[in-house]
Amino acid sequence: MVTYREDGSSEVQLGQTRVMGIVTAQLVQPYRDRPKEGMLSIFTEFSPMADPSFEPGRPGELAVELGRIIDRGLRESRAVDTESLCILAGKFVWAVRIDIHILDNGGNLVDAANIAALAALLTFRRPECSLGGEDGQEVIVHPPEIREPLPLMVHHLPIAITFGFFSNESILLIDPTHNEEAVMNGRMTTTVNANGDICAIQKGGGEGVPQRVIMQCLQLATSKAASITKQIKDAVEAFNTERALRKIKRHPTSTGVDVREKQNQYTCNIPVSLEHFKSKTEVVITRTRKHYPLNMAA
Amino acid sequence: MEVDREDGRSQNQLRPLACSRSILHRAHGSASWSQGDTKVLAAVYGPRAGTKKNENPEKACIEVIWKPKTGQIGKLEKEYEMILKRTLQSICILTVNPNTTTSVMIQVVNDDGALLPSAINAACMALVDAGIPMRHLAVAICCCVARSGLVILDPTKLEEQKMKAFAYLVFPNLVHSVLPEGSPSVQGEPIENGIITSVTHGTMSVDDYFYCLERGRAASTKLSDFLRRNLQQQPTNSSKAG
Repeated sequence: MVTYREDGSSEVQLGQTRVMGIVTAQLVQPYRDRPKEGMLSIFTEFSPMADPSFEPGRPGELAVELGRIIDRGLRESRAVDTESLCILAGKFVWAVRIDIHILDNGGNLVDAANIAALAALLTFRRPECSLGGEDGQEVIVHPPEIREPLPLMVHHLPIAITFGFFSNESILLIDPTHNEEAVMNGRMTTTVNANGDICAIQKGGGEGVPQRVIMQCLQLATSKAASITKQIKDAVEAFNTERALRKIKRHPTSTGVDVREKQNQYTCNIPVSLEHFKSKTEVVITRTRKHYPLNMAA
Repeated sequence: MEVDREDGRSQNQLRPLACSRSILHRAHGSASWSQGDTKVLAAVYGPRAGTKKNENPEKACIEVIWKPKTGQIGKLEKEYEMILKRTLQSICILTVNPNTTTSVMIQVVNDDGALLPSAINAACMALVDAGIPMRHLAVAICCCVARSGLVILDPTKLEEQKMKAFAYLVFPNLVHSVLPEGSPSVQGEPIENGIITSVTHGTMSVDDYFYCLERGRAASTKLSDFLRRNLQQQPTNSSKAG
């Protein structure tokens, strides 16, 4: 099996939380019951670098839950078009693998990891391949120097927004930090996209909350999702223009010098503030408590 | 005999170096080191109480965890962990905090040749950032021998694959190597002529190896300057224990 390293890699900083996302793809045989669909898999690595309490080795339940939330947001909402990953039905499909590395745990890993995964998917390019051979059953993969690699087809961007609940004063918090996570009574993660669709909601146990609070959360999430989507798209745009500029510098006519095309790391800092909401349920007072700059390096 | 390197460097030229410290908030010490496109992130936690099972409790213990960019952890990563652990054990003063463990985590951000030397440099900077007591610093460099017999420093990944053999060398970096007068010596030879670690891949002749050592040592003075300057410029943040 050949692994192609047309990497899409992104690094997201959300306050003190820092997450890196890497996308790679490989040609594999599809599942029997889905011969025309590609595969998408997410691997989360809770590195002990991020938090002294993370153990190396097998992922703990937090890591698994994070992976599942991101997976559900991408797969079940059909954000990534898996049918376009099929090359030869029943024989060859692309298996896209997303690796999420948590570098620094400042709280709210789910949101940051989700953004990292989306940014990496948007900048990832897979090599173009064509069918060949005698009976059209062989797949020829073209290296990036010969044919331009293709982006993945992403229909929409599901953004995860996490809320924290505190029982004492009926306080609702968006984007909890690590200290707030340690004391909060309940959490809920909603995955919405900019079109207003709810892709997933995850509320695992914890404090029970009344229905109107949930509705309030969903409304907040929808408005936040629109702004975050815009920021991700801006960062990806900037990266794409930079990549296009780099390609113009290629000189195929000069002899003996093979200029390698670098498509990988590009640092792009677009500081954006993700506002911190704190609203009491009895009286609606919106106070922006802190500003967390959202740095994207894609 | 001049060789044409892809990015236009000469034989003895290193790639552009970049280093920053204290980039992570939870880790006690952290550093990011990049040589050209190779970028490595190192984080240090410690000292923490207790040592691992088979370790000597009368000394401090160093634990290294290596995370590759993608894929499963395999034998290569375990080998890197072991080499890094032994290298760091020789530069840290282990008797200061007995019965403690210092954890060093390495995350590969991008691999474009000379990965292990970059990781060693990053780990050294992260240890300084965390304030772990050390005897001296270490600088690591990669030298390779081409099929034509030429010795090249700091190869990229493509160059590494075409080489006949390459060696990762780690040299000690003492204060006195920057100041010209008087250096401590071991058996009549100055300490900085010694090697801490040497890992080779492929076959090379003895002469080639000694030639690599010479070249490596010469380049390591440049690296040490860069390291020292970087350490002096950036003041460390206030303690972030907890």
